[in-house]
This record gives sequence, C-alpha cells and structure tokens, in this order.
Amino acid sequence: MSLIQLQNVYKIYGEGRENQVNALDGVSLEIDRGEFVAVIGASGSGKSTMMNILGCLDVPTYGEYYLDGVPIREKSRRELELIRSRQISFIFQGYNLIPSLKVWENVALPMLYQKIPLAQRKERAMAALEQVEILSKADSRPTQLSGGQQQRVAIARAIATGSPVLMADEPTGALDSKTGTQVLSLMKELNAGGTTVILITHDNSIAAQARRTVQVRDGHIVHDSVWDGVLVPAVGAG
Amino acid sequence: MNALIMALDSIQEKKGRSFLTMLGIIIGVTAVLVLVAMVSGYNADITAYYEKLGVNKVNITLTWYDRTRAVDVYDAVYTYGNETLGDMVEGVSPSATTDLPVKYRTTTLDTCTIYLGSDQFAACNNYTLEDGRDLSYYDIQQRSKVCVLGSYVADTLFPYTDPIGETVYLSGIPFTIIGTYYQKDGGAEDSMDHMISVPYSLNRELLQSADVTAITVKVDTSDHVDTVLNALDVYLAELVSSSVGEYSLENGNSAMTESTEETASMSVVLGGIASIALLVGGIGIMNIMLVTVTERTREIGIKKSIGAPRSEIITQFLVEAGILSGMGGLIGIALGFGLSLVLGKAMYDLILLPSALVTAGAFTFSVAIGIIFGIYPAVKASNLQPVDALRAD
Ligand SMILES: Nc1ncnc2c1ncn2[C@@H]1O[C@H](COP(=O)(O)OP(=O)(O)O)[C@@H](O)[C@H]1O
Ligand SMILES: [Mg+2]
Repeated sequence: MSLIQLQNVYKIYGEGRENQVNALDGVSLEIDRGEFVAVIGASGSGKSTMMNILGCLDVPTYGEYYLDGVPIREKSRRELELIRSRQISFIFQGYNLIPSLKVWENVALPMLYQKIPLAQRKERAMAALEQVEILSKADSRPTQLSGGQQQRVAIARAIATGSPVLMADEPTGALDSKTGTQVLSLMKELNAGGTTVILITHDNSIAAQARRTVQVRDGHIVHDSVWDGVLVPAVGAG
Repeated sequence: MNALIMALDSIQEKKGRSFLTMLGIIIGVTAVLVLVAMVSGYNADITAYYEKLGVNKVNITLTWYDRTRAVDVYDAVYTYGNETLGDMVEGVSPSATTDLPVKYRTTTLDTCTIYLGSDQFAACNNYTLEDGRDLSYYDIQQRSKVCVLGSYVADTLFPYTDPIGETVYLSGIPFTIIGTYYQKDGGAEDSMDHMISVPYSLNRELLQSADVTAITVKVDTSDHVDTVLNALDVYLAELVSSSVGEYSLENGNSAMTESTEETASMSVVLGGIASIALLVGGIGIMNIMLVTVTERTREIGIKKSIGAPRSEIITQFLVEAGILSGMGGLIGIALGFGLSLVLGKAMYDLILLPSALVTAGAFTFSVAIGIIFGIYPAVKASNLQPVDALRAD
C-alpha cells in the first residue's frame, strides 16, 4: 500500500462560474515510503495547493486523499493534529519560524506538542542544530539569522520532530544557489536515512537531483518521470 | 507554564495598548471596591448616629386623648413598664422637647433644646450623668424647678466654674442646676450635647400644655423590642378605648433598619452600574484579543502546521486574556484601596478598606470576565484552517 494516494482530487477556489479557480483539477498521485519526489511546474500551477492537502494543512474540495490507506476525511480534528505533529514535517519558502522564540525553542516546539519532556526536547533540538551546523546560533532569535541560516533552522526543526515524511515548498526559493545546494543536500541526507521527501521547486537543476519528478500544469499532473529520465504517463493524465 | 511566559511576553511587548485594554476592568474594580467601602462607611455612620440617639426604644404616640374621662396614660405606662415588664424595660420617659433661650447672668444661649423628661430620661436618651445628681422621681412629683445640663451648655455657660447649684433662666423661670451629663456627641454647638433636661411635669409652664402625647420606652436588648411593643399594645388597647383616644406604637430601631436596608438596596443598584463598567472592560478585552488573534494569525498557522493541538492555541489566548484582566483587577484593587482610604477619611473620618471578601470577589470576577470574553477570540483562532492561517502576513 502506498504511503500517499490522491484519487481524483479537486481544489476549487472562488464562487460562481467566472471567479471559480480549479487550483487542482482532478489530480491522482501515489507516493511510496522512502521516495524523493520533486514537484515542478509554473507559478500558479497548483503545486502548493497539492502540497498543503498532502500535508493535512488543507482539505480537498472533491476527491479522496488516503494517508497510510486511511481516507483523510474520516479523521477527526485531533487525529489530523497528531498527523501534523508526528507524521509530516514542513519546510516553507518563508521559513515560518516564530520570531519571539529563540532558535532552539523553535526547533524544540513541535516536540512540546508530542509531550516530550523539556530536557529531552532541548537535547534533541541541540543535536538537530548541530546536524545542520548552526548550533552556535541556538540562543539567537530567528530574525538575527540570514535566510540560509533560518532555512537550516527550519530543517533542524523537521529533523528534531522525527517525522517520517518531509514536505518542502520551494525551500531554496529565497536562497542563493550555494546555500540552496546546502539545504538540498541536507534533505538528501534525510532521505538516505529513510525519510520520504516531497520537494516543490521551480529550479530544474534541483529537480534533476530527485529520483522522481512530478510536473504540474493548470491543476493537472502532466508528467511523472523517474530519475533515469524515462517518461511514464501520469495516473489519470489525459 | 509555556503559555504563561508567552502571554507575559506579549503583554509586555505592547504595554500601552495592554494598559488601555485593562482600563475598563480597572475602573470597574475600583468603582466596586470604593462603592462597597463607602456604603459600609455610610452604614457605620448611620448606626453610630442612631446609637447616640439611643437604640432599642418603643415610641408611643397619643394622637388624641380625653384626659377628663380616663387615667393618665403616661403614669400608667410608667408603672406598667417598670413593674410589670420589669428587667426588659430600662426606662420610661415622655418625649417632649422645646427650643428656648437659656440665660445665665449676662450670658444667653439663643436656642437650646429643652427635654421634658422623667427620672428615667437619661436612660431613655442615652445620656450619662457626669456630676451632681439626675432628675429624681421626687423632682417630677414636686415639679421642682431643677435641670441637668448637656456638656455644651455646661462648658459654654460655665467655662471656669462649677455649674452645680447655679441658677439659669428658661422663659424667665429660674432653674437650679443639679447635675451635668457627659459629652456624648462631640460637644459642639450643633451636637446632641447642646441640651438641658427638666422635669416633664413643668410642661404647663414651658410648653403651655399639660398633656404628655409622646412616650419613650427604653428596652434592654434589640431582641426584646418587639416583645415589649406587643405587650404595650395589649395593655394600651385596654387602657385607651377608641372612645377616649387613639395611640400608635413604633419600633424605634425600624428607622435605622430601614435606612441601612435602603443603602443596601441602593448599593446593589450602584454595584450593578459598576459591573457594567466591568462588562464593558470585558468587551474591550475581547476586542483587543480579536486584534491580537489577527496579528498573530501567522504564528497560529505555524504552530498548527507543526502539530499544535487546538487546546494549546485556546489556552494561549485565554491565559493572555486572563492575565490582562487579572492585572487590570490588581491595579483596580490598589486604586480602590487608595481611594477608599482617602474618601473614607474625608467623608466619614473612618479608616475604610474594602472587605477581603469583596476584594477577592472583584479579582475573581475580573479574571473570569477576561477569560469569558477571551473565549470567542481564542476559539476563533483555534478553528483557523492551518493553510488559511499561514497565508496571513
Ligand atoms: N486561497 C486562495 N484563494 C483563491 N485562489 C487561490 C488560493 N490559493 C491558491 N489560489 C489559486 O490557485 C492556483 C494555484 O495556486 P498555488 O497552488 O499556490 O500555485 P503554485 O504553488 O504552483 O504557484 C493559482 O491560480 C492561485 O491563484
Ligand atoms: Mg507555491
């Protein structure tokens, strides 16, 4: 059974025929455990919308999303909270760190929701910061850090959480190519350790490093290719 | 714990705004505390006033009475009270007063309250003999022209000499001073010490009326007032049949009870008004918490995206609202204590402090207000879809 399975998923924004936007227009997709998937496509094609649904941050208008074989719409609010807390970690283009908390507190915060005791939270946060080579900034505030450093903190937060799935929405979009490469290699490292990684990017050189590339256009998946470059037809693609 | 620190941080960050938010609560709590303290001061004042007048009295009034056809009611009540009712009755005295000038040698006091009393006048009206002797039963019988001076009269007419044995003139009639009373009401010109008591049997000379139409019966304890009143009612009903007269009886404590009850009901109304201030304060808190939720929507989104449970978000905002209003409550309590002290001193010359119960109640109420009015913003924040919250900036 696949880890993730989208079946004919729609996400429709706006009311009325004229204003209506089908951000996802009947998407079907399967992702297995341990995969490294790059999602590419033009701006506005629906990548983030799809990712938010996969990460249980949003819900489809129509269609089914099975996570571990269980349809998401059958899950309670509490169960969804637990999925966000323990199953899926996010990395965003805008870092999404909490400015009023110190770097290490940001990294440790998800573990608070997992009810891990403080001493252990701190220990794991420090270890994760060490792994992304930013331990020296543990007591700084996020705003005192550069973009690349903040993104590494966000990765440390995902690492410390210990989630089996990592989703990243253009994590290198705001970074120069050198820091972008560092961030990417961190994610590849995590994938090598068994974490399923789904990465949105519009940078083809980054996408090229993924084993599998999914291309989105106008709310449809138009290509779904494996790393050797051989195109396979997308599920349900016309 | 975490929520507490975050809430304090956030309040600290916006001190000015936080203070303005608390203002409604501060005003409400201050108003409630000052109000309650002032009411207790007013009650203490009223009670003290009535106690000076003498409490635990039954007042008998004869609306009309045909003396030619019946016994002397006053004499009868005097005997009945002192002999039949016994220990429960401390004294019986006519209650008649008149205002007359008092002349001693060349000095004249323009108006002085003259009490026409019995030998039990002092007990009935809460005066205590200081020097000399009091009016006696014999004085009453003999219609002796003797008098006892209140402390103001004694001090004013005889600043340096002993008044006892001296003679003062009331309506041109000479009265021998036989005693003086202790000061009981501050001793000033407008106090109850500005008085003289004389035998009531001189009423023909001083009042141009021979009848005693009002009688005071002093009872030993407040518990016995109604017993005595009922006994007198039964006794008088027989004595004063409707063909010879008409009487009425009154519990002297009822005036005091009434005025304290009046202030109690008035303070409920005023307290209600003060609670409206608290309520308005609560709405202010709700308003500011809604603003805070809007400002922190992105933070809420981040927390939700990393797995924060709804309860965590709700707690965070409720704690902040509770602290905000609780701090307002504390400031209000401090102001309320200060103002009560100042006003209590100025208005009643008393050290007035809001009671511990009221203070605790006001504090609890203000925290509760904050939490209750914080619920809506907190739930609103917790119900945001993570992706919607994240989109905010
Ligand atoms: N909350 C929203 N309300 C209305 N339209 C939206 C909303 N979010 C996304 N869209 C629209 O959905 C489409 C897909 O957006 P998005 O998934 O963000 O694209 P991408 O991430 O590929 O750039 C776009 O046309 C965008 O304007
Ligand atoms: Mg996007």
